[in-house]
Amino acid sequence: MQDYITVGMLNSYITRLLNHDAKLQDFWLKGELAGFRLYQQSGHSYFTLKDEDAAVSCVMFKSKGQKLAFKPEDGMEVLLRGYVSVFARQGKYQVYVEEMQPYGTGGLFLYLEKLKARLFSEGYFALDKKKKIPRLVNRVGVVTSQDGAALQDILKVIKQRHPGVEVVIAHSSVQGSEAARELAQGIQILNEYGEVDVIIVGRGGGSLEDLMAFNSEELVHAVYHSHIPIISGVGHEVDVSLCDLAADLRAATPTQAAQYAVPDYNVLHQDLANISDRIVRLMQRVISNREERLDRSMMKKVWREPGLLLHDKKELLQEKEKRLGKAMGDRIKEADHHLALAAAGLDKLSPLKVMTRGYTILSKDQRLIKDISDVAIGDELQADLVKGQLRVVIKSKEKIRRWKI
Amino acid sequence: MENIDFDSALDRLEDIVEQLESGQLTLEASLAIFEEGVRLSLYCQKELKKTDGKVQRLLKKLNGELELIDWEA
Repeated sequence: MQDYITVGMLNSYITRLLNHDAKLQDFWLKGELAGFRLYQQSGHSYFTLKDEDAAVSCVMFKSKGQKLAFKPEDGMEVLLRGYVSVFARQGKYQVYVEEMQPYGTGGLFLYLEKLKARLFSEGYFALDKKKKIPRLVNRVGVVTSQDGAALQDILKVIKQRHPGVEVVIAHSSVQGSEAARELAQGIQILNEYGEVDVIIVGRGGGSLEDLMAFNSEELVHAVYHSHIPIISGVGHEVDVSLCDLAADLRAATPTQAAQYAVPDYNVLHQDLANISDRIVRLMQRVISNREERLDRSMMKKVWREPGLLLHDKKELLQEKEKRLGKAMGDRIKEADHHLALAAAGLDKLSPLKVMTRGYTILSKDQRLIKDISDVAIGDELQADLVKGQLRVVIKSKEKIRRWKI
Repeated sequence: MENIDFDSALDRLEDIVEQLESGQLTLEASLAIFEEGVRLSLYCQKELKKTDGKVQRLLKKLNGELELIDWEA
């Protein structure tokens, strides 16, 4: 029988060889990321690092991955520090990554600039998508670490400005590999809860690496999709985080974010009192304007001495009456005169007047006898005198020529 | 009045001030918006006094339900 060794022995031997080579135990390696996978369960990441015609498997354990300041993506050029060892189960060697950063001028900055440019072009920072922060809030959502100073600052400011405001905290880590996911989730559950008027997301100051969760695409998405207005308060004055850009309002610190979120209760109260007073005053003015107009109208002479309005008419009436009276009197006088004249004329023509002078009127059967031809001999006629009546009989007729009329 | 929020009420109050200031309204219209203004102002004052300053922590349980628990500093 040939001497042989087992697979396990082989792998152990090779492992020992590699582990004893100082060069392989701590080196920097540059390459392009491919097939990057982060396993949620274990928190370990697996990927391949390659250049034009070479590739090597890499693994990054959770404890190291949590310190990553950026989100690794396929195609990204990175610089990593690590060591080589053997994964005995598969008989393959791989690089165990201790730390990793984007490669190139300014590494992390360059990565951020690229991410910012992409998110910008995708519309996540669009100003017309910004929601208005309500002036009065009853309940404020806060996404931050429940152990951080930022939360204490926020609570202090809120109590100062409006003691009645309720606060709902969605705890999240604010740095490390879980931070981006937890921050995003905090925003999501507050949206799901739905009873807060505004959300503050933030943390106190730190290094760029510490703040990387606030530059994560995941958080930017959550902020952008929130139905509730978001104020970003990340403690850094110089640089603007991507979370700031996506938020509806950017504050420089958590304290300032709380000031933006909650109006000063006393000021708001005063504003409201002022506006109420103003409305009452304006209404009084509306009414007094009309009163004044009414007064001015009522001051006119016509209202004070309404008799004046009738005075002219009265004069006119009196004049007319006078004229009417005079015209009427004249007319009556004239009529009287005519009547007297007519009566006098009538008197002269009266048959009675003639009869007093001795004339008699002859009539037959109510007809006046004016000619001898009107009667026959023997006719009985009636003769009227002034003071009596005679019945006469015709004895004879004779025509007499008197004078020509 | 049921479907109004504080901000809209405040906006409307400012609008009412402007309209009353313009002096263009009839007496009847002025009175009508004045009444509305008084109602809105009372509503706003009430809203300002509504809350009780609780601090709570919102948790999402494993079954997906949300739970609020009182928070102590």
